[in-house]
Amino acid sequence: MTIDGQSVTVPPGTLIVEAAKNVGVEIPVFCYHHKLDPVGACRLCLVDIAPGPPRPQTACTTPVAPNMVIKTQSAMAVQARAEILEFELVNHPLDCPVCDKGGECPLQDFTFRHGYPTSRIDGPRLHFKKPIPLSANIALDRERCVLCYRCTRYYDEIAWEQELTTGQRGVQSFITSQFDQPLTSIFSGNIIDLCPVGALTSRVWRFESRPWDMTQTGSVCSKCAVGCSVTLWQRRGQLVRVTSRENDDIDEGWICDRGRFDYTDVNDPKRLRVPVVKGAGSTWNTAIDALAAGIKGKGPKLGISLPQDLTNEEAFLFRRLLDGPLKGAKVKMHGRTALPEPDPNQLLIKEIDDARVIVVVASDTEKDVPVVNLRIKKAVSKRGAQLIVVHPDGVDLDRNPHTVHVRNAAGSAAAEVEKLASHELLKSPGGPVAILFGDGHGSEDAADLAAACAELASKVGGKVMPLYRATNERGALDAGVAGWDKLDGVQALLSWGPPPTAGIPSSVKFLATWDHLQRPDHSRAAVVLPATTFAEQQGSYTNLEGRVQFLRPPIPVAEPLKESWEVLTELAVALGLELGYTGIFAVQRDAAQTLPGLADLAEPPSPTPVPTPVLIGPAHP
Amino acid sequence: MPDEKDQESVIDDVTALAKGLKTTLGEFFSPVVTTMYPEEKSPRAERYRGRHYLRRYDNGLERCIGCELCAAACPVGCILVIAAENTEEKQVSPGERYAKTYEINMLRCIFCGYCEDACPVQAIVLGPEYEMSDVSREKFIFTKEKLLEPLPPDVEARLKSKEQK
Repeated sequence: MTIDGQSVTVPPGTLIVEAAKNVGVEIPVFCYHHKLDPVGACRLCLVDIAPGPPRPQTACTTPVAPNMVIKTQSAMAVQARAEILEFELVNHPLDCPVCDKGGECPLQDFTFRHGYPTSRIDGPRLHFKKPIPLSANIALDRERCVLCYRCTRYYDEIAWEQELTTGQRGVQSFITSQFDQPLTSIFSGNIIDLCPVGALTSRVWRFESRPWDMTQTGSVCSKCAVGCSVTLWQRRGQLVRVTSRENDDIDEGWICDRGRFDYTDVNDPKRLRVPVVKGAGSTWNTAIDALAAGIKGKGPKLGISLPQDLTNEEAFLFRRLLDGPLKGAKVKMHGRTALPEPDPNQLLIKEIDDARVIVVVASDTEKDVPVVNLRIKKAVSKRGAQLIVVHPDGVDLDRNPHTVHVRNAAGSAAAEVEKLASHELLKSPGGPVAILFGDGHGSEDAADLAAACAELASKVGGKVMPLYRATNERGALDAGVAGWDKLDGVQALLSWGPPPTAGIPSSVKFLATWDHLQRPDHSRAAVVLPATTFAEQQGSYTNLEGRVQFLRPPIPVAEPLKESWEVLTELAVALGLELGYTGIFAVQRDAAQTLPGLADLAEPPSPTPVPTPVLIGPAHP
Repeated sequence: MPDEKDQESVIDDVTALAKGLKTTLGEFFSPVVTTMYPEEKSPRAERYRGRHYLRRYDNGLERCIGCELCAAACPVGCILVIAAENTEEKQVSPGERYAKTYEINMLRCIFCGYCEDACPVQAIVLGPEYEMSDVSREKFIFTKEKLLEPLPPDVEARLKSKEQK
């Protein structure tokens, strides 16, 4: 086929908009999104197609055909698009100066590139109350909406929620939440990224900055074990926004609200910045010596609570300490599951797409691994996979009426999985089977369940995926520090990150904390070390499928804060172990050589290039 | 006896002196153009670009909506705007957004007037004042309080009459 004189070969069934991307021809779209089903609602993608009727046709709903000739710049197509844009702006308030989308708004850019410079319409505009809070995190401005229905289609197709819908009809249509109730879905934030205009904006980022004020880095989310790709946006040394960054192997461009909105603690004015010893600010040397004196030689009387977002580098350095001066200490990692180390040939997240039958055992994936939950929904609703859930309670995946839900008594998941081998869906699945299992938040025997799932996988021809919960549980397992010890009875405790979930044991006589915020439970700490956050420190996480991904901090580590590798190295010296690392790269190289699970640390890939902003081209016609 | 040549030279000299004195005396009796600055100031052109002002509406609300277009247009990056949201209890400007912080670094400013051009609500204008010398660098960071000082009445009146046209 030919687009604007350039010939292009694409697989059958490709839509014209996608084919045009291959040859670098821009066809403007609002309603079309490559992860949603085409709908043809906005009519902005009109092009001239031959052979065909002598009218402009929508490029976003028309699949290519052999020898098709498409003209995006014919007089008819150019005029049609310009007039559609004129219609889109009939009710648009043109309050771009105060709109958070201004500067990165497709409606602005397309109007400059494809629209008329002036409007011929001078009538009254539709007015709505604005802004309307859709939830604590999202604001809706109905005047700016161009009714592309991306948000409602996303809610319907991808998130399987019914919270967002359209009210009224025709020109009076507006987006509304069901019965004006606030949105509760954990996936609601994605509609902000989807919205091609400023109708849906973040209330957390509201008026914080304009897009051109910020610098961005392509980093990894630190909130759960899925490891979604995110973009971190920085202004004046503050983390002001987190948005999704499409990575088809993991997240497909969706992130959950925890990853998107749960970042304000980085900018907390009450952040700890100087070490504190016995209630008074001190220097790092004094604080580290005091910490070393408190924990040295305690053996099993020392307890250490690790944060869930421990980086691989920290885990490796900590392993060196555990092998040496801190031998025998009790270690408990925050939020980790009891799941054992995975099978090397485990299921990858992208392989869920091709599964014919998906078995989810002992996990509410919506809460434990939100973006994997979206992947399962996609396989079911877009690829026709069958779904079996083994869980004592109702879960999010039950929204599909065809879900087979096996309600087991808590603790009997392994027995139920053994019975599943003879289930009619699994007798001849007709393709790969994906088995995902959690630990039922401690209610199941994880080792038994892992064995039962592995056996089921070998019987029916599938792969298993253990659903870890803690961000870097995989990396901590690889480094051998993902402890699961009870901290009761310890005399000294190093509480790294938030305090242990069970509280600080009453037997503790010496408490040291290492965190970025002052927590109430930490009030009686003898030594307080300030910590860096995911937005400042370098390092890497291993996600639940074993992929090592690197943090790209947008904010520099401000003095007197210190990066964790440096603190751990100094602590080792104070404990009598000379590690001799001079930088994080030395730590990474050594970790890659020492621990086979962290071999990927040897060569960190260069950072993802920041996308160049789209320049505004000449307006035509 | 002086010869003929010497006599001619004397006449030339006297003529030259008279010519020079004519210019000097002419200037002496012509009207004075020197302005006795700083006691006296010469008038500014109507569109002279001096120090900045942020304007208010007649009802007292600030015009500035914190859109940062002035900061975006500024070729030297001397303007810092941090916006915030108006609430019903604290309505600073009309609409949803206002500038919580508005600072101009006058040491860096080149008085090009692009900020005034970029402003969608005619909030920032460059006034006629040019005397801004001071003794500390910090005083050259003009904060919002300083910028919100009222414009000279004649300039404000001129801007208003322009808006009505």
